[in-house]
Amino acid sequence: MKRFFAIIESPLTRAFLVGFIVLSFQTTLFNTLRPFSVVMQVMLLCSAASGVAAGSESGAIAGFMFGFMYDMVLTSPFGLSALVFGFAGYMAGGVNTFAYSPRWWFKMLSIGISSAAAVLIYPAASLVVGVDGLLQARVLGVALTVGLFNAALALPAVFVMRWALVKSKKQMLWAE
Amino acid sequence: MYSFTRRRLIVVLLLTSVLLLTLDGSNSGLIGGVKDAFGVVFRPVERFANVVSRPLSNVWRGVLDYSDMRKENLALKDLLVKQEGAAIAATASVREAQELLALNGLPTLAGIDSVTAQVVGQSPSNFTQTFELNRGKSSGIRVGMTVTNGAGLVGKITGVTLERSVVMLATDPEYAMSVKVGACTRPNTTTTAVPQTTTTVVADGSSTSDTMAPGDGSTAPFTTVAATTTTSTTSTTSTTTTVLQRATTTTIKGFTPFATTLPPVPGGGGATQITVPESGVLLARETGAMEGQGIDRLPVIRFIQTSSRLGELCEGVPVVTAGGSQSLAPADLVVGTVSRVVTRTGTSGPLLEVELAANLQSLNFVRVLLYQPATEIPQ
Repeated sequence: MKRFFAIIESPLTRAFLVGFIVLSFQTTLFNTLRPFSVVMQVMLLCSAASGVAAGSESGAIAGFMFGFMYDMVLTSPFGLSALVFGFAGYMAGGVNTFAYSPRWWFKMLSIGISSAAAVLIYPAASLVVGVDGLLQARVLGVALTVGLFNAALALPAVFVMRWALVKSKKQMLWAE
Repeated sequence: MYSFTRRRLIVVLLLTSVLLLTLDGSNSGLIGGVKDAFGVVFRPVERFANVVSRPLSNVWRGVLDYSDMRKENLALKDLLVKQEGAAIAATASVREAQELLALNGLPTLAGIDSVTAQVVGQSPSNFTQTFELNRGKSSGIRVGMTVTNGAGLVGKITGVTLERSVVMLATDPEYAMSVKVGACTRPNTTTTAVPQTTTTVVADGSSTSDTMAPGDGSTAPFTTVAATTTTSTTSTTSTTTTVLQRATTTTIKGFTPFATTLPPVPGGGGATQITVPESGVLLARETGAMEGQGIDRLPVIRFIQTSSRLGELCEGVPVVTAGGSQSLAPADLVVGTVSRVVTRTGTSGPLLEVELAANLQSLNFVRVLLYQPATEIPQ
């Protein structure tokens, strides 16, 4: 029983459940809300927030998992979003470590920058795997919009991802 | 400074991504199976999220799209009135064309079954242009089938599960289709004035006859109408009836498919003019490859070679699918019209931008043609 609860309480399970719920809103609500005709990328937001909340490594793993889940509902090459979102999580964690004690605005900046970078990398990575035509000037506008939106929602996303990925001392004791 | 663990993590994630991409590229059924299984679990959650978030979506749409929707509604009403008459004429023309094709043993769209499906989802990505339909394998839909709506070509099926299918739009950069495009029809029309014979029969036995030469009608309209006139003489009263014998059969050079016969029009008057496109315009069509260019950009047609046979390329010319054994769609499916001709130097030939007939921004119900191209049938 303890083992079962340990699995349920594990960061990976929590992150998966968060990702599952966020994905359902990504394909419904955020698919409808398209400011400037740009789809908001909340899965990418969660990936970047994972990096800020739990560090580069955890961010990379969580981002990879979120990207993998996102690939399940896309028709783009399978594994591409996993790669790019993993990078976003890793980068957000990396940027966040530049500050000794990052303030709230620096977390927003980290998430905004890494999200925009991921949006720019995605068409370039697709070009590598043989999907051309995505690398257009429009990508710059998309990257800017997604970056700003993700920066705006960064703090609640970091809060949720911290809950999912970082175990409190109380939880650790209970799991033991 | 990277630790060994950090490096190992990056390498493992990278290798996993490469492995997944390779598996996907090799078209193994594994990825499809995993996606299907995920879809079965994810669908109810998505449906729940849809119900929960619908009020918010509606508020968003109401706030941002209301004025546009009103304008669009008025414009559509206006367009509908104009289109009603044209649609009736077009239906008659299509029926006639299908009869002709059937007479010549050529395949027509009328012989292809179709399934009507509703668009239930859209790609959440900023890069891929796909829609999800509420019909799948159970309705006979397979990968590669063509999707249309009332206006024209929409795209093709790229993924299919038991109850759902994914449509790649014709504007997606990965979409390509062989199409036919014709030359301008503007300067190549012939106007022929048909000779007309007028016979006047007079009741007292005499008769007069008058024949109009070709060309007369175009300069001086023929104004005699069928009428009953009364002529008074010193001794008797007679009735003169003028009977118009309209031109009967004309054979125009270059227009061979069938002869044109004008039936007599009782009481009709005026010069009889027939405007018939020359046969060259009807036949000269060039095949090219239409490729999607991404969101907010029109598809383009490449590999069109200008030739004296094809004539001048211009805007507004209809574009239809080319068909053929290797084509992704049956022949003569309406795609759209040429919106811009970009002349290029050298052997590359002109580039044609295509305005799609179907409005891909507001798709609701679509028709999936149950026609699987030979190239898409799994071996």
